[in-house]
Amino acid sequence: MPPRLARAVRVWDLPIRLFHWSLVALLGFSWWSAENHEMDWHRLSGLTILGLIVFRLLWGVIGSSTARFSSFVRSPGTVLEYLRRPAGPARPGHNPVGGYSVLAMLGLLLAQVGAGVFAVDTDGLESGPLSFLVSFDAGRLAAELHEALFNIALAVLALHIAAILFYRVIRRRNLIVPMLTGKDTEIHPTEPDIVPAGPLRFLLAAAIAAAIAWWTSNGLGL
Amino acid sequence: MQPNRLLLVAFALLFAGTPLLATPANQVRTRVEGLRALGAAFKTVNDGLRSSDVPVAQIQQAARTIRTAARQQYRWFPAGSGPQTGVKTYAKPDIWSKRAEFRTAQDNFARAADGFQRAAATGNVDAIKAANRNLGGTCKACHDAFRTPKD
Repeated sequence: MPPRLARAVRVWDLPIRLFHWSLVALLGFSWWSAENHEMDWHRLSGLTILGLIVFRLLWGVIGSSTARFSSFVRSPGTVLEYLRRPAGPARPGHNPVGGYSVLAMLGLLLAQVGAGVFAVDTDGLESGPLSFLVSFDAGRLAAELHEALFNIALAVLALHIAAILFYRVIRRRNLIVPMLTGKDTEIHPTEPDIVPAGPLRFLLAAAIAAAIAWWTSNGLGL
Repeated sequence: MQPNRLLLVAFALLFAGTPLLATPANQVRTRVEGLRALGAAFKTVNDGLRSSDVPVAQIQQAARTIRTAARQQYRWFPAGSGPQTGVKTYAKPDIWSKRAEFRTAQDNFARAADGFQRAAATGNVDAIKAANRNLGGTCKACHDAFRTPKD
C-alpha cells in the first residue's frame, strides 16, 4: 500500500502527550535550577512534577486506552515471549517491555519527589515543603537520597532514549513523531484508533493532581 | 621529685598538650559536628518562622545555640585542618591563605548571631525574621567564598 493512502492511526491522546513533554521540560528545568541553587524555582518545578505524576497515575486508571495500566502492564510470561520474538507488526501503545519501563520511570520519579519534599540542605536554610515534619538528620538523609535517586533516574532516562534510538536506527521505526502528533503512520491502518477518555475525566484527574500538589506545597495544611 | 608527683605532672602535661595532639581528623570532626548542630538550629528557626503560629520559645533556644556556635567557630579552623591533610573536608585552602578575609566573614557571622539572639529575645516575629535574613546572608557569604561546592 502506498504510504500516502495509509491512514494514520491515533495512538496517544493529547493529555498523555502533554504529560510526556511537560515532564521532559520540567525534569530539565529541575536539574538546571538545582545546579544553579534557584531553590524557589526548584521547589515549584518539583511540585508540578508531583502533580504530573499523580495525574498520570489517575490517567492510567480512567484515561484513554493506551494510557491505561491494564493495557500495557503485561504478565512476565508475555514479556519473556516478547523478548524471545520481538519482531512482529507494530501495535499502538507500549510494548510488554516498554510498559515496565513506564512503571520504573514513574516509580523512580515518585520516589524522587517523595525524597525531595522532606529534604533539607546542609545549612538548614533551604528545604522541601514537608521537611518541617522530620528532624534535621532525617532531612539530610532525604537530601542524600534525592541526589542518589537522581543519578539512577538519569540512567533509566538514558535507557529510555537509547531504546528510542534503537527503534529509529535498527528497527527503522519513528517513535518520536507519534508522541508529538498522537498519530502513527507506520502502524497498519486496520489497527483500531485509541479509545479516548472524555474531557470530564481529564478535568477530574487534573483537579485531583493539582489539589495534591498544592496541598503538599502548603505542608499538608499542618 | 616523688614518683607520684612525677606521674601527676606527666598527666597534667598530657592534658595540657591534648589540643596540640588533636589529629586533623579530630579537628575536622569537631568542625563538622559544630556546623551540623548549627544547621539543625537553623532548621528549627526556619521551620518555626514558616508556621502560622510562630513558636518563639523554640526559636529563642535555637538562637542561643547559634550564638554559642558563633563564638566557638573561631576554634573550628585550626591551622593544618584543611584539605591538604588528606581528610575529607569542604573547607577551602583560602581559609588559611586569606586569613584576614576569613576573619572578617567569621566576625560578620558572630555579629549577626548576636543580633539574631537580641531579636529573638524581644519576641517580635518581624524583628526575628529580619535578623534571620541578615544572619542567613552571613552564612551564605562565607560558604560561597570559603566552602568547596558539592558538585
